[in-house]
Amino acid sequence: MLDHLALGFSIALSPFNLLMAFLGAVLGTLIGALPGIGPVSGVALLLPLTFGMHPTSAIIMLAAIYYGSQYGGTITSVLINTPGESASVVTCLDGYQMALRGRAGAALGIAALGSFVAGTFGTLLLMLMAPTLARWALSFGPPETFALMLLGLTTVTGLAGDHPLKGFISMVLGLMLAMVGFDIVSGDARYTFGVNEVLEGIDFLPVAIGLFGLGEVLVGAEEVRDLRILRARYRLREVWPTAADWVRSRWAIARGTLLGFFIGILPGAGSTIASFLSYTVERKVSRHREEFGRGAIEGVAGPESANNAASAGSLVPLLTLGIPGSGTTAVLLGGLMMWGLRPGPLLFEKNPDFVWGLIASMYIGNVMLVLLNIFAIPAFVWALRIPYRVLTPLIVVFCVTGAYAANNRVFDVGLMLAFGALGYLMRRFDYSPAALTLALVLGPLAERALRQSLIISDRGLLIFFTRPIAAVLTSAALLAVLIPLGRALWRVRHRVRRLAPA
Amino acid sequence: MRRADHVGGVLCLALGTAYAAGARQFPYWTPAGPGSGFLPFWLGVALALLGGLLLLQAGRRAPPSGRGDPAGREAVQAGSLRQLLLLSGATLALLVALPVLGLILASALFLLGVLRFLERRPWRQAVGVAAAMAILIHLVFARWLRVPLPLGPLGF
Repeated sequence: MLDHLALGFSIALSPFNLLMAFLGAVLGTLIGALPGIGPVSGVALLLPLTFGMHPTSAIIMLAAIYYGSQYGGTITSVLINTPGESASVVTCLDGYQMALRGRAGAALGIAALGSFVAGTFGTLLLMLMAPTLARWALSFGPPETFALMLLGLTTVTGLAGDHPLKGFISMVLGLMLAMVGFDIVSGDARYTFGVNEVLEGIDFLPVAIGLFGLGEVLVGAEEVRDLRILRARYRLREVWPTAADWVRSRWAIARGTLLGFFIGILPGAGSTIASFLSYTVERKVSRHREEFGRGAIEGVAGPESANNAASAGSLVPLLTLGIPGSGTTAVLLGGLMMWGLRPGPLLFEKNPDFVWGLIASMYIGNVMLVLLNIFAIPAFVWALRIPYRVLTPLIVVFCVTGAYAANNRVFDVGLMLAFGALGYLMRRFDYSPAALTLALVLGPLAERALRQSLIISDRGLLIFFTRPIAAVLTSAALLAVLIPLGRALWRVRHRVRRLAPA
Repeated sequence: MRRADHVGGVLCLALGTAYAAGARQFPYWTPAGPGSGFLPFWLGVALALLGGLLLLQAGRRAPPSGRGDPAGREAVQAGSLRQLLLLSGATLALLVALPVLGLILASALFLLGVLRFLERRPWRQAVGVAAAMAILIHLVFARWLRVPLPLGPLGF
């Protein structure tokens, strides 16, 4: 382990990779802070910049954007009472109240320090757990792999959002799109309708940029209003927590870190859910319960730690199993495949420089981020003054350029725009772009695993229930489908019965 | 939202059925195991079923009680819808202009047009932002990443 970590640091400390981590930290904080653009869109938008880069440098930058955005979201929640991204929604409750009481600096300070503790400790846990999990997963055959993918797909879809039925529709749509193009086994060109550009499959990048970059901007163009920023002072004296703040926050930070990390590992429950849960826990255990909603510092420290730890935790299934548990990690997985890496348990054995370089860079990135978020707050607040209406066309141009740069084809720009429109409609009507993306990325891999399983099986689909690990995973996946769908059906029948006598 | 769910349900039903029917032209099963039509067929069936379920749910559901249907999102003001349509139109124009004018020129004109005429920003700001973005794209994509961007009549 220490050898590996030393290797990782020797890679992460190279000048170019340090620059990439710093770039990711700055951009991540910005993306987190700007309302209307979150980590998923940020990662999707910046993915084209990584072409021709070494995969390790690329993942160092993109991961820094991901965890950096968890830092940046706080700024907007505290100063504007609008979440910069969804994992900072609960921070508005007490963070903004603290700011109204003249303690904006303290709220930002404790959030940055809590995030640092959580990010560093989360990375440590990731480092300790991931290699073991990867070694265990090495024994997986095609049935286990398929069952695992099924579980990843169904939990993300069933748990996320309050409309599971539409989540499953989004997922099936994603799988259907994944079938387009040459079939690897037979060579049949499926659902191409004579369009040569999709023979190799629908390219992931224009889809991701459209769904997340353009789609989110279009929704934002309707929703985001001009923002009023509270004025505050950010000298170290205001930002650094007092002794009393420390005493009140330290256990909140510790609980948030552990809770966040393990929630982050679970598929379908990312940093947003982690931050909400942490807030609930803190309100339950606090001795200052009456202060919650009126500027309790624990209500900022806990959730802000939890969302950072969750972003580290969500990298565990991505790196060890190749199964992303959230929209952002799904885009990262798409990136991994574009850079020519094969995600899954073999990653730790075949690409140690990649995995350990990333882990080492996360320690470094968190140090950069805590410094940025304590000493450079005014710079990020200044960036918040850029009107969203000016930012919108800039992002559109960036989407167009990025989609083009993927394959140097104008076709991909059109594809990106089409998926931008789809992403807008999906958001407006409560469908799940994240589930679609996840299914599009996993689709070809899942189909291959399914076919291989059925070939080695002599009793058809029963193979997913006769092998112990596969049986557990498949059953869990079935439950993840049947429980929410059953509930939807039950509601329908309930209504019918109630309407019938009338 | 109920009408939207009706539309969504019907679309899924139709698309799923068509997709499953389309899968019939590929082998469902081969001597070597499942063929290229196997999974697509079941995906089409699944989408059609889910669409039917959505239709059923929307048809029977009493007016939404607020869950999954935030009032703020339902009530999009006419002004912002107009803004959205204009922005989408401008983006489509950008797509059409891309191969003709080249990426950098088309993007700069798009930014200038949107900022000056849609957002009513002052000329100085609109020109400044458009020029800065053009230079940035050139430096990042053309110089650094060496992407062969579509060129316009002016050679950039």
